[in-house]
Amino acid sequence: MSLALTGIGVTSGIAMGRVHRLTPGELALPEYHLEAGAVTTEITRIRQAAQRSEHFLGNMMTRVSGRGSETARDLLEAHRLMLRDPMLIEATCERINEQRINAEWALAQQSEQLQEEFRRLDDEYLALRREDLEQAVGLIQRELAEQPTTALDARIPHHLDQTILIASELGPAELTVLSQRRVAGLVTEHGAPYSHSAILARSLEIPMVVGVHHALELLREDEEIIIDGHYGSVLTDVDDSLRRHYAEKLDATLRHRNDLKRYLGRPSFTTDRQPFCLYGNAELPPEFERCLAAKVDGIGLMRTEYMFLEAHLPDEQTQYLAYSAAVRTMNGRTVTIRTLDAGGDKLPAALELTRGPNPALGLRGLRLSLSIADAFRNQLRAILRASTLGPVRILLPMLTSVAEILQARQLIAECREQLRKEGFQIDPALPVGGMIETPAAALDIERMAPELDFLAIGTNDLIQYVLAVDRQDELVSHIYDPTHRGILELIARIVESGRRHDREVTICGELAGDPAAVRMLIGLGVSHFSLPPAQIGAVKKSLIECSSRRCRELVESYRAGNGAPNGSELLAALTEDR
Amino acid sequence: MTRRTLQLTNRLGLHARAASKLVQTASAFDCEAWLEHKGRRVNARSIMGVLLLAAPCGSELMLETSGEQHEEAADAITELVENRFGEDQ
Repeated sequence: MSLALTGIGVTSGIAMGRVHRLTPGELALPEYHLEAGAVTTEITRIRQAAQRSEHFLGNMMTRVSGRGSETARDLLEAHRLMLRDPMLIEATCERINEQRINAEWALAQQSEQLQEEFRRLDDEYLALRREDLEQAVGLIQRELAEQPTTALDARIPHHLDQTILIASELGPAELTVLSQRRVAGLVTEHGAPYSHSAILARSLEIPMVVGVHHALELLREDEEIIIDGHYGSVLTDVDDSLRRHYAEKLDATLRHRNDLKRYLGRPSFTTDRQPFCLYGNAELPPEFERCLAAKVDGIGLMRTEYMFLEAHLPDEQTQYLAYSAAVRTMNGRTVTIRTLDAGGDKLPAALELTRGPNPALGLRGLRLSLSIADAFRNQLRAILRASTLGPVRILLPMLTSVAEILQARQLIAECREQLRKEGFQIDPALPVGGMIETPAAALDIERMAPELDFLAIGTNDLIQYVLAVDRQDELVSHIYDPTHRGILELIARIVESGRRHDREVTICGELAGDPAAVRMLIGLGVSHFSLPPAQIGAVKKSLIECSSRRCRELVESYRAGNGAPNGSELLAALTEDR
Repeated sequence: MTRRTLQLTNRLGLHARAASKLVQTASAFDCEAWLEHKGRRVNARSIMGVLLLAAPCGSELMLETSGEQHEEAADAITELVENRFGEDQ
């Protein structure tokens, strides 16, 4: 009999694999396999790191001895003995040798095994000793980090393709690392389906279930589990029949995904010959490749926050390399680069000080960029330089007033002039658009639209602000309703304003990737969508097979109150329509 | 090789300070040293091994030393245990 835990599925995929419970800070440690020749070097590295740690502790002990503090000395002595302990150091060396892995990873594994043994003793007093072990291991890891391995070409990154990772919560940066390690699936105890991490997981097609309470306690290390993102379920006690059932389901999913690929090359028209345009969302190089493979019309949203997640702000050159790589990869198709949209649920470490009492209503998006003008100039210069390699558009996030647009345009003009003096030829008509995602911008759209070259509706934030619901908050996330008549009213208004001023209106946000919701949007008059490459096939199929006229009828009667009684029935009616 | 049975008579058994002293003593000699308790055999020169024995007051331990200074080591460890690791009582 298998046990099922439930949460909220964020990616409708299935993953089968073994449990690994993520410990804090673990992802910061490098993990890779070594080439045979590098094993000896790596063993020397850990021995020297242990010796240096011991030396460090020795120094500390002479300092405390003067104060006659017996207990502190005892504690340091215990740590020092751990640093020499064959069960720690020798066993780690054996792991390096047998598994051909780097010192950091071998040490983390050995430490986890010892921790497990201490846990099994179930002795409160010894539980305290686990902290000593943690501290001793921390000392060695610090020394290892100081002297990274020199044999760089001996690294073969550690893949997690058979692993389902369990964590309390995962940030976008961690998710990016895990994606590079090809993790099979993700389960978190907290989080909501519309969080930044969830969006990223969906775009990278990593099966993920969030909000599984007590998952870290209920799931055992190395136990075989299956996660089903569609139902948000986590299945344990996997037996043969269950395994077979899900292997077949997984296979069917892959076949279905391949079927959708047939639609990618088809012309973008609804059954009543209404043209539409599909852009891709991308930030990391593999996503640009996927967008190309999905035959997108361009990049409608390149987020740049990931470059700002470190302790220091990225310089112009670092950013230029990322933007120019994107422009080159897209080979003539437009790349829309959104300037830093930090704040709210995604605040970079470097800007931690800007966090106010309510980040969602605080210094975020363009407001933040305008307040750190030097850093903003670096970003604008990098984007403008990349625009010399292919078509680029600038997208400004979180607008609330026309004044902000004018201020940003002024800065862009200054940067362009400066670059011209340095010998770069920047197109003076380079399009500058804005994200319409605050109620203020949506309501004042008639004055905003003429000041912008194109409009992008950020539905995630717009819905959040209009409905006063934090999409991260599990307690109210059920109120988050994209079909709310107030939301449809605002979208229709923006679309109308765009038509009047001849401005392209693109939907960026979760809605654009939902095959049912895009029919609702086309019914509201939207024709441009920007979505993760993984969803292009399904969305394109949905649009090619619908009649825009019929969608409009269904949406209009729903808005007038004489059609579908609620949002889910509207979406159901839209999906039935062929 | 020397094999001896030792009885822990100090109040706290092999807790951190006692275990530290035992490991330090065992490490001071040129020999190998092993301790056995309830079927678990650990290196007496490993602090974590000794702690993981989780041996309380009154436990019997089997000590085994081998190598150049096995007798000296066995004597020193025996003395430490019999003196209750220098604890007050």
